[in-house]
Amino acid sequence: MKPKRVLLETWKQLAWFLTLMVSLAIVAIPLYLLFKYSISDIGSINTGGKPIPIWPFHPTLKAFMYLFSDKQFYHVLVNSLIIALGTVGVSLLFGIPASYILGRYDVPFKKVLLIGLISVRLFPDIASVIPIAECFIRFEAQNTYWGIILAHSLLALPYVIFIGTSAFEPIPKDLEQQAMVMGASRGQIFIQILLPLAAPGLAAAAIYTFLLSWDEFIFSYFLLGIGKISTLTLYLKQKLSYAPPQNILATISLCLSLPVIIFSLLMQKNITAGITTGAVK
Amino acid sequence: MADVVLRNIRKRFGDTTIIENFSLDIRDGEFVTLLGPSGCGKTTLLRMIAGLETIDDGDLLISGKKFNTIAPQKRKIAMVFQTYALFPHMTVRENILFGLKIKKASVATMTQKLQWVLPLLDLIGLENRLPRELSGGQRQRIALARALVLDPDVLLLDEPLSNLDAALREMAMEELKRIHHQVGKTIIYVTHNQVEAMTMSERIAIINHGRLEQYDRPKTVYDTPRTVFSGQFIGSPPMNFIDGSIVVSQDNIGIMTAIGFVLLDRERTPCVEGMIGRKVRVGIRPQHISYIEHRASRRSSDSNFELFVELVEVLGDRSLIVGRLGDVVLRFLITREAELVPDQKVLVFIDGRKLHLFDPDTSLAIC
Repeated sequence: MKPKRVLLETWKQLAWFLTLMVSLAIVAIPLYLLFKYSISDIGSINTGGKPIPIWPFHPTLKAFMYLFSDKQFYHVLVNSLIIALGTVGVSLLFGIPASYILGRYDVPFKKVLLIGLISVRLFPDIASVIPIAECFIRFEAQNTYWGIILAHSLLALPYVIFIGTSAFEPIPKDLEQQAMVMGASRGQIFIQILLPLAAPGLAAAAIYTFLLSWDEFIFSYFLLGIGKISTLTLYLKQKLSYAPPQNILATISLCLSLPVIIFSLLMQKNITAGITTGAVK
Repeated sequence: MADVVLRNIRKRFGDTTIIENFSLDIRDGEFVTLLGPSGCGKTTLLRMIAGLETIDDGDLLISGKKFNTIAPQKRKIAMVFQTYALFPHMTVRENILFGLKIKKASVATMTQKLQWVLPLLDLIGLENRLPRELSGGQRQRIALARALVLDPDVLLLDEPLSNLDAALREMAMEELKRIHHQVGKTIIYVTHNQVEAMTMSERIAIINHGRLEQYDRPKTVYDTPRTVFSGQFIGSPPMNFIDGSIVVSQDNIGIMTAIGFVLLDRERTPCVEGMIGRKVRVGIRPQHISYIEHRASRRSSDSNFELFVELVEVLGDRSLIVGRLGDVVLRFLITREAELVPDQKVLVFIDGRKLHLFDPDTSLAIC
């Protein structure tokens, strides 16, 4: 009886191990390829029929140097940063009050509201971008920072409200009532008790929003495409149309994905916590 | 410092009435316990005094002033919740000073209050810890400290000891009593634990189904329960009840019950005389049924019965015996020297001076 069980455990562990390895490979191999291409010399890309090497023949930082010498690169980097931070600001500005109300009060049809909110995002961006762009053009919001920030906030808000609600929801009512009896007003309770306790979840929402805006393409393309304001994703698309060597493209891609990877690793704990707090109810 | 008066308070949640026509008078500086089973409305009453629950009807007076609709923030009241409700992101010091900061107290006041309360509740050295790093007893003391520094008129405590283990609860009870003695605040304490109520309070309000059953000093509540419920709820092990009717037998007045004739002491004869034949419910505390091996020690007011031992529960210094005669179950206590075994036939004496008589219809005490 006992050895059989141990065997079963071993098989289970092995299955887990293999699954993890496959998932890791799915994530890691493209990242590795991206990194490899970014430090490849031309000879390792155009091999003239020979198989492409796993590690470049002559690793070089030429692609990075080219990119860092391009004034436009800095320009779009700063643009992307402004837009992403602006989106975080706007999303939190509207998302936190909404999450506070949804998380702390008995709102009728709350579940329906939340599901409706999140299902907005099931609608493909490419289908909603035309009417939205139409609308933005009418209000002369195309080719402006506030326009694109608003558009990105539109995409991020459902998530911010969803995660935010589950950050406010589990805070015990007793804490609020205790503060009330001690003389605190609703505003003081919100700022001194609820906000600090919801902070980890809200931080997760903020980072998620930042990343969403950082690598957003479709809305940026339709609303900014032909104007003066460009973002990293548009810059990548523009470079691609000149058919440059792959190492340049890989380097831009790497710059795009680096914050995503770093933030995800740093905030992994908070993101999963933020998502699950509401889910386990 | 303040007295609290509840006058004809009524509270409904939807269709169910939680509190019905409830009146209570709490004197300045008094320690009053609201005692009752869960769901009896005692916590709702406390929350109404705190302002966390609206009052449907009746008046709440604090120091003579009507407080029915005044916001909780504006009442000079402090409350300790059952869960303690410590702010998890604040240190002990920040928790204790939260209320004073909200009230914009000066730094000097805060320092002075902190220096007063920390030794009072044995919290020195914990100032910079977070609540999650502390034990249940420490958390309970912080919640109390946080309430005391606000110098409230009335201190409300909602089952503050229910999350503590038995030993800690004993200590906390003594401490609460000492603190009440030192600060002299009006304290309203809610519990379902009759031992806590008996130990600490100056007066106990026994509540059942949102109605006041009895409101008196612990000793009075124990000695003369006003209703069947009071008799049942106060005292451990619980009171025995037997139904019967008042009869005269050979010049003696007593109660004829299913187990036989229970003699009533002569002092109560004038009171019961007019009620011959009336149905009564007799309440007998386990402490007033004695098991004596030698019949010689029998008192004139005692009546004796033969019971079968059904169960023996060892309590330590004494044992609780569950005895049965026919359909009647009687619980009583014996000393540890006397060893009884199940199915044994024993002779017990019921002290006629200690009987409690109730009207079975109104549940009210008679005589």
